Amino acid sequence: MTAFVLTLVGAALAVGLELLEALAIVLAVGSTRRPRDAVIGAVGAVVLLAVVVVAVGPLLLARLPLEPLQVVIGTALLLFGLEWLRKGVLRLAGRRSPSNSFQEYLEEREALEGMDAPPPGRPDWPARIVAGKGVLLEGVEVVLIVAALGAGPDGLTPAVAGAALAVVIVIGVGLVLHRPLMRLPESHLKYAVGIVLSSFGVFFLGEGLSVAWPGGDAALLYVAGTLLAASWVQIATLSREPVAA
Amino acid sequence: MRALRKLVLGETVALPVGVALVLAIGLALEALAGSWWEDDGGFVLLALVVAVLTVSLAPAHRRR
Repeated sequence: MTAFVLTLVGAALAVGLELLEALAIVLAVGSTRRPRDAVIGAVGAVVLLAVVVVAVGPLLLARLPLEPLQVVIGTALLLFGLEWLRKGVLRLAGRRSPSNSFQEYLEEREALEGMDAPPPGRPDWPARIVAGKGVLLEGVEVVLIVAALGAGPDGLTPAVAGAALAVVIVIGVGLVLHRPLMRLPESHLKYAVGIVLSSFGVFFLGEGLSVAWPGGDAALLYVAGTLLAASWVQIATLSREPVAA
Repeated sequence: MRALRKLVLGETVALPVGVALVLAIGLALEALAGSWWEDDGGFVLLALVVAVLTVSLAPAHRRR
């Protein structure tokens, strides 16, 4: 049950935040250029990702034995999770600007406004490429996170359910447009995702390396607690230290 | 290319290098250590990961 809930929450948060970043880029492209080209670029990226997942996923799962797969997945989750956690610590300690998809939306708009628009009736390839690249890069992270979390004791169900929940929420945010983007506590959410992904990373790496975790799946709780405590020590220390002018 | 590099390696080399070291030490201990690894190896991995996080944040401490 612990692993199921943590996987669902972790997948929903991680996928939701990645999708928000992709949405910010697509909205910026759609509002500065033609919405049709932004959607074509985004859909093209989603189709490309789906083809790669359908072609490569089953091959990998069928050929790799469980323990090496857990080592690979644990390592990948640690790489993602520790990066999110490091940035989260720096943001919460005031050493890095807070995460803000609305700011990304504004920056992307500003960059696109400097580009010449194509004549009417011609496809807007720069807009399609910018939207497609944004969705593709964030989408790769979504696929890796869902696939990695799906290797947990409860299988793909909680990871896919969490991802589906995130898709529904982000589409809702997209329909109400940018206002909710400004209100989300993104820095705190990304810090939480960092804790969850890193915890699963340590857990899977241990399982892949023949570790028998005391308490079974409940080990995820004390692993997460330890990472939470260690990162809060860093946040408290960094917050107290004066920053160079 | 820069976006791909950032996606794979992140913003600091300390994390990928640190995670690679954790993996190498884990593999070595799994092969060399006795039965204690099965019972306590998880705590060793957790301590190593906390150390990697701490090292990756060291530059922020130095920037005073």
